[in-house]
Amino acid sequence: MSDNLRSIFFAVVTALVCSLLLTAAYSGLRPFQQENIEVDRKKNILKAVGLLEEGHAYSHDGIKAMYAENIVCMRVDAEGRVMEKGAGGGKGLPIYLYRRDGEVVAYVVPINTRGLWGKIHGYLALESDGSTVSGFTVYQHNETPGLGGEIEKEWFQKNFKGKKIVDQQGRFVSIGIAKPAAIAAMDAAEKINYVDGISGATLTGRFLTAGLKKILSEYEPVSIRFRSKEMLRVPKGSAACGESQ
Amino acid sequence: MKLTQTKHFKTFSEPLIQNNPISMQMLGICSALAVTVQMKTAVVMGLSLTFVLAFSNLTISIMRRVIPRNIRMIVELSVIATLVIIADQVLRAFFYDISKQLSVFVGLIITNCIVMGRAETFALGNPPGLSFLDGLGNGAGYGSVLVSVALIRETLGAGKFLGVAIVPELVYRAGYENMGFMQLAPAAFIIIGLLVWLQKTLSKE
Repeated sequence: MSDNLRSIFFAVVTALVCSLLLTAAYSGLRPFQQENIEVDRKKNILKAVGLLEEGHAYSHDGIKAMYAENIVCMRVDAEGRVMEKGAGGGKGLPIYLYRRDGEVVAYVVPINTRGLWGKIHGYLALESDGSTVSGFTVYQHNETPGLGGEIEKEWFQKNFKGKKIVDQQGRFVSIGIAKPAAIAAMDAAEKINYVDGISGATLTGRFLTAGLKKILSEYEPVSIRFRSKEMLRVPKGSAACGESQ
Repeated sequence: MKLTQTKHFKTFSEPLIQNNPISMQMLGICSALAVTVQMKTAVVMGLSLTFVLAFSNLTISIMRRVIPRNIRMIVELSVIATLVIIADQVLRAFFYDISKQLSVFVGLIITNCIVMGRAETFALGNPPGLSFLDGLGNGAGYGSVLVSVALIRETLGAGKFLGVAIVPELVYRAGYENMGFMQLAPAAFIIIGLLVWLQKTLSKE
């Protein structure tokens, strides 16, 4: 009996010491990690709108400066109108505008959706015509490395560039991921709405397709405003989307 | 007695070549396939494993007389897991890009047979100093194989060394192409096989 007691005592002490160490590491390193995550997020927004050169290393300050110069974040309501400062009590959909000389060149929609093993976080950038994709990035996911994990790779993401979220008549259809063979069988008008999927990652592709459709239809009112050229200028006096600038 | 004859030196140096955890004991192959596409990830993975291994050996060796036999593996595992999570958190704080590339593989050090194997076979029966050196030696042995494989894969597969292009543009224009196969995991499998063959042939003489 005393042997068992000793084992239990030892196990409890070990668990206690280990958890103390982990707590210390977690809380001590948290500020650094937060900073990295923040910069990485901004980097992905910049990458989605095509501002970053591939293979070029950027410093943290470089990313922050470039972000502050080019990107403005605001909120839109359910009708796609940009919300005023203080309106709506922090509700509404966040949207990032890429502006150059006061004109909106592209807008970025945050993608937070379900993957096969966990959440997928990324950004989809659309040109100011409201229908052409200018870039797609993923900055956080739990998909299997080498299979679904390939969604974070350049070769997959670059397929999105130039694709449309509307059909030839201008109706919203979203953008989907399909097997290359299935895409080859489609007619030319349909191909523009699909990107090549990853072999061995059919389910990840399916979840991402469903997520993109859901998110893009939520943002459809904004996209319609872009298509009718109502959003070519950055609206003044609008509320920031609550992120730390 | 010369330094190379001491027990401490032998403990450190044996796992480097003669008793290398990957090429002789065939442990830790899985991560060696996954993280050797680039030198940078291979070096960081080697260092992380060395850190975990050295300190898990040290801790377990210090506690070896007080750990109750019946729960010793659970205790070993908690020590290892704690160290791995700390290593992972440090990487996330200071080497974010590399830690993203290594993705799950740092976390998977917990299941790396080298760590548990050294704790069971060495740290439980040897004093802390020796155990620490054994951990360093095995970590360095693992790391050196990783780095050699990554050197071959990055040079042939991407024409780069530590991310810097080393194959001149001229050669590409003359018709040279990067070997795409080297970017895939099976390439590491073949390279490790060749390394083992080379080492076994050399050590026979």
